[in-house]
Amino acid sequence: MLLEVRDLHVEFHTRDGVAKAVNGVNYSVDAGETLAVLGESGSGKSVTAQAVMGILDIPPGRISGGEILFQGQDLLTLKEDERRKIRGAKMAMIFQDALSSLNPVLSVGEQLGEMFVVHRGMSKKDSRAKAVELMDRVRIPAAKERVGQYPHQFSGGMRQRIMIAMALALEPELIIADEPTTALDVTVQAQVMDLLAELQRELNMGLILITHDLGVVADVADKIAVMYAGKIVEQAPVHEIYKAPAHPYTRGLLDSIPRLDQKGQALYAIKGLPPNLLAIPPGCSFNPRCPLAQDLCRTDEPPLYDVTESPVPRTSACHFWKECLHG
Amino acid sequence: MAEAILEVRDLHKHYPLTQGILFKKQVGAVKAVDGVDFDLAAGETLGIVGESGCGKSTVAKMLVNLERPTSGTIRYKGEDITKLSPRALKAVRRNIQMVFQDPYTSLNPRMTVGDIIGEPYEIHPEVAPKGDRRRKVQDLLDVVGLNPEYINRYPHQFSGGQRQRIGIARGLALQPEIIVADEPVSALDVSVQAQVVNLLDNLQTEFSLSYVFIAHDLSIVRHISDRVGVMYLGRIIEIGTDAQIYDHPTHPYTQALLSAVPVPDPEARAHRERIILTGDVPSPANIPSGCRFRTRCWKAQERCELEVLLLAVPAVFRLTDSPAKHDSACHFAEEKQVVPPEEPQEPQEPEQP
Repeated sequence: MLLEVRDLHVEFHTRDGVAKAVNGVNYSVDAGETLAVLGESGSGKSVTAQAVMGILDIPPGRISGGEILFQGQDLLTLKEDERRKIRGAKMAMIFQDALSSLNPVLSVGEQLGEMFVVHRGMSKKDSRAKAVELMDRVRIPAAKERVGQYPHQFSGGMRQRIMIAMALALEPELIIADEPTTALDVTVQAQVMDLLAELQRELNMGLILITHDLGVVADVADKIAVMYAGKIVEQAPVHEIYKAPAHPYTRGLLDSIPRLDQKGQALYAIKGLPPNLLAIPPGCSFNPRCPLAQDLCRTDEPPLYDVTESPVPRTSACHFWKECLHG
Repeated sequence: MAEAILEVRDLHKHYPLTQGILFKKQVGAVKAVDGVDFDLAAGETLGIVGESGCGKSTVAKMLVNLERPTSGTIRYKGEDITKLSPRALKAVRRNIQMVFQDPYTSLNPRMTVGDIIGEPYEIHPEVAPKGDRRRKVQDLLDVVGLNPEYINRYPHQFSGGQRQRIGIARGLALQPEIIVADEPVSALDVSVQAQVVNLLDNLQTEFSLSYVFIAHDLSIVRHISDRVGVMYLGRIIEIGTDAQIYDHPTHPYTQALLSAVPVPDPEARAHRERIILTGDVPSPANIPSGCRFRTRCWKAQERCELEVLLLAVPAVFRLTDSPAKHDSACHFAEEKQVVPPEEPQEPQEPEQP
């Protein structure tokens, strides 16, 4: 297994109390595999990724428990300088907003080349040639002429390609892409997702795709982890989850997509709001919004039930997963 | 079609590009909107889709007169609102209200919800006499599904979805006939989007509103719209009923746009044909000659470079009865199914929020 996150807990100390952003997350990614982490804002999907990358703001954040095993090694026990060698070289991250993730006063060539200077000890001149090579690889036209340009001179789609190029520079084994196409238009989104999938295949990388878009997930993911209030509530292979979700939250999300045969009718809507992380409801955190909720859900926190029915394992954190899966 | 309540003809908005400090010389123009025509019927929802920079938000701003058009007319019940005196404009504005995209920045953080929703009454006191306003605001809160007791709270005490409801309540305060909604749900979480879409739907029936619904999420636009216009670089390039546009698109750009939308069904991966466009949208300051889509179009020929085609029913479909008979600005318009037909699923009980 390339990456295994075990029972990860992250909390933030704020003026109003302790916000429990991640409450026992388990997931794993293999080489060449794509795991989609699906969730709304505040579900803890990005915080988990930041903990894996080691870029969490500490303080106010604090990893209060769990293990992050990367190629069998627990990253949380490593010293910062050891982690720095892994970050960028073995695992890299693509952020949502390319414009604010790139340095506006350095040319893209310098920013791309920096990877080779810092990690590989290359000279500035050689690193520039490498930068051109990378830009070619992510299909930026006229790479040689544009390598000296600055981020603002590129369009949104091109900037996101530069982010991808930067992440791929040292051919890492794991890529974490946090909403990589949310800021892009659909026609450009399709180009960028295609490019990412192709490079992943070529380099046999593990990919963690963090998103809230059920369409993007269906297009590229192998397996899905659905997060709600800092927990994974359902984990399953992509085909199974779309065919028959085993958690009412997943079902609600899928049902709220507008469908042709429902034109003119009200959309299905999950009632209520995502919980405040300072005061997560007792029992199942989804119970105040759940159509299946019973007394048990308000008192007992559901464990991750094994709901496997086909050869591929899947789990659901719902007491009534049977009703959800078959109802 | 029912009588048009809003008629937009040949609408242009050009922002000048200048050079020099003292003697500003115009060296060009950003043609944000460059010839847009459409009608909006009473009680209808017109969806406008397009990528960022295509001018859809500028159209919205001109409809509510937040921007003055460079040329063209916007007729509200036959009266051109771009040429009205300030006094007459004020009366018209009451009837055309707007809901903004970002519920975080479109509400003043220092005003209470009551003041925000009640502010339109300061400008149009004839709608609600002073003593009556508080009750009216509370009614509005109730209508949009918020607790009327929240009237003294501030925007930061609400979630994104609730704030958007406040924005909608403000839009409804003057009992308008037309609401221009510019990306009203795109800043919201997925599970909350459906609630707001349903609210807009219910309000339309309750108050017989006409909507101009601007968005980039094609599935939501299809759900809510009666007719859909597709914009590219400042122009509508195809317009028709929702079924005509989604099931029988004839313009290559519409086809590419529809095929690029990720379908939330992993089974569709295998048999879906995707048209991946090359390159980016050209700059609106430097629009290609002839057909403005030709630089990214796989059908483009010499003719597309030379002739500007107006939005009309393409000749090949003019005499047919097919659903492809709708306005599309392409020399080589042809039908192509890009959205996979959906299998009917068992109907589910929609839950009321």
